[in-house]
Amino acid sequence: MEQAWQLTNPVIGIVIVFATFVLFYAVSYFSNRASKSVEDLYIAGAAVGPITNGLAMASTYMSLATFLGVTALILRIQVPFVLLWIQMILAIPLITIIYGTSLRRMGAFSPTHFVRERYGVSASLIAALFMILVSIMYALGQMIGIAVTFETLLGIPYSTGLIVGGFLIVGFVTLGGMSGATNNAAIQMVIIALMFIIPLGAIMKAMGGSGWYFPPLFYADMVPAMLEAMPNFFDYQYSPKWYFAIIPALTIGALGLPHLAMRIYTASNLKSARQAMIWCVLVLGLIFSATYAMGFAGVYYAQISGVEISPADADKLTIILNLVYNPEWVTALVIAGAISAGLSTLNGNLLAIGALISQDIVTTLRPKLINKSKVRLGYMSIAMGGLLSILLAFNPPEFLTVSILWAFGLSGVTNAPLIIMGVWWKEANKYGAMAASVIGGVVYVIVSPFVLPNIVVSGHALTDGMGLSGAMLAVPLSFILLIVVSYITNRIPALQKNLPTDEDHKLVERIHGWSDVNPARYNSTFGAFVMTSLSIAVFVWALLPWVF
Amino acid sequence: MSAYKKEVWFTIIMSVILLLAGHVGFIFSIFPVEGNLFGFPIMYIVPILVGWFGIFILTIIAGKIGNHIDDAIDAENEENIKEQNAEMKGVR
Repeated sequence: MEQAWQLTNPVIGIVIVFATFVLFYAVSYFSNRASKSVEDLYIAGAAVGPITNGLAMASTYMSLATFLGVTALILRIQVPFVLLWIQMILAIPLITIIYGTSLRRMGAFSPTHFVRERYGVSASLIAALFMILVSIMYALGQMIGIAVTFETLLGIPYSTGLIVGGFLIVGFVTLGGMSGATNNAAIQMVIIALMFIIPLGAIMKAMGGSGWYFPPLFYADMVPAMLEAMPNFFDYQYSPKWYFAIIPALTIGALGLPHLAMRIYTASNLKSARQAMIWCVLVLGLIFSATYAMGFAGVYYAQISGVEISPADADKLTIILNLVYNPEWVTALVIAGAISAGLSTLNGNLLAIGALISQDIVTTLRPKLINKSKVRLGYMSIAMGGLLSILLAFNPPEFLTVSILWAFGLSGVTNAPLIIMGVWWKEANKYGAMAASVIGGVVYVIVSPFVLPNIVVSGHALTDGMGLSGAMLAVPLSFILLIVVSYITNRIPALQKNLPTDEDHKLVERIHGWSDVNPARYNSTFGAFVMTSLSIAVFVWALLPWVF
Repeated sequence: MSAYKKEVWFTIIMSVILLLAGHVGFIFSIFPVEGNLFGFPIMYIVPILVGWFGIFILTIIAGKIGNHIDDAIDAENEENIKEQNAEMKGVR
């Protein structure tokens, strides 16, 4: 038995979604009245407090996938996807500890800004182009998701939803800059939490669960019934290699995502950035756990009700549960929450695209632009990024609509090694950085199933499609190339004149907080050797046959 | 221990502990365990709890140590400047 899942009275949904847009516009307008410099535009004048920033970090990170995609994948592969998603919480803490505070000290606008200062213009242009690709894939995913949500749940045709919704979104992102985005993201976080967890509690109660008052964790009494209906729900299914591959693909991948790192640069000081990280983890843990509970409830419902949820409808699992168990006006609030989740991520993506185009490409090529032109260019770049996403979403090229998780891997291959080694190893140089970014990036694209379907690493469609196997091969390759090529080229006398070694060393010391330069610091050959050895081991393991 | 060594070791150790805490599923895939905790299978609920509360506690610790290391670097910077000034006076 298959059925169409839609609000019978879409007007309620449209009114609630419209009301949230009015709120976001008002916040954008009042937040950004004083954006006079590029610092104001991209990092909100580096003056955001820890609670607002922590909420904004969590909200920017949680995309439409949190509401729709994760529950769909739990329906499809059950507990392994829960275990895959849990580590997503590491992104902000690891970014903060490994390089975020250093780049905040430097006053960077984006991770690529650091790459430019550290490795020079050519390396930063390569990194920026890859990052724009990652950000567009991300933004496009949100834009399509929002338009599809409008279409399937509110009955608004896809093109109309895309044009009206898309322009409304681009309008408030451009109007608000980072200050508006931050305040909006913090508000969106509260909306997401309320619109996800309270209706989940009602669903749990209707299903007979006794722990409805705290649904993220209190559903153990439903476990025996689940095991009866689906005995293999809790099975791990995959080998340790599959679980290990999540580290290079998604954990290291998240370290290179520009829209996450940029949140740390908005902090008013380093202590505030570290406090924001704590708030972010607390809130992310709450929502993520609620997502697993929603996935559990969805699988449970599908098993006991006999209702067949078609693969095309799997993304709507959260909404389906609300349509079944809650009144329509609650479902309308959940839809508004899902759209808010998409908006906050899109907001971060568009700002990252704006910073990448205007600061990392145009200003790099034309460094003499005056401040006013830079700000104007910034607004134009954000709007252009948004318009491009809308245009692409009309008839999206297939290679751009691959899983967003695959884009994590691309950022892990092309950006993360440059930033991590650039911050912690003075010997890292532009030749190593370019080799790592270009060769690593090309290898990752080649072994993806989207370009040459015959050349893949694992042969398992889901694993290759999410970039797990590709990243397990290409991320260590990038680290190896960066370290080995840098080490060798630093010892070729003919190349010395092209390497601003002294300035690089000063920069590395400065971003760690030192006022002097000490050759013994951040220069460990042993550390680089250990990193290379580990990378070779992972690289070889990725090449060995995959058993599922 | 110098502030530099503290910074390097703190970053390595804290990153490894965070990685382990976020990837308890990987550890269980190598060393599976049977049994229930709070009514859930251990291999399901422990990764979720450690992936939330465990990491929350680790970020509190990381924040405190990070602030402490910043102060240590500042203190060492001041000492270096004082030493340099003293040397300059000696040269004169």
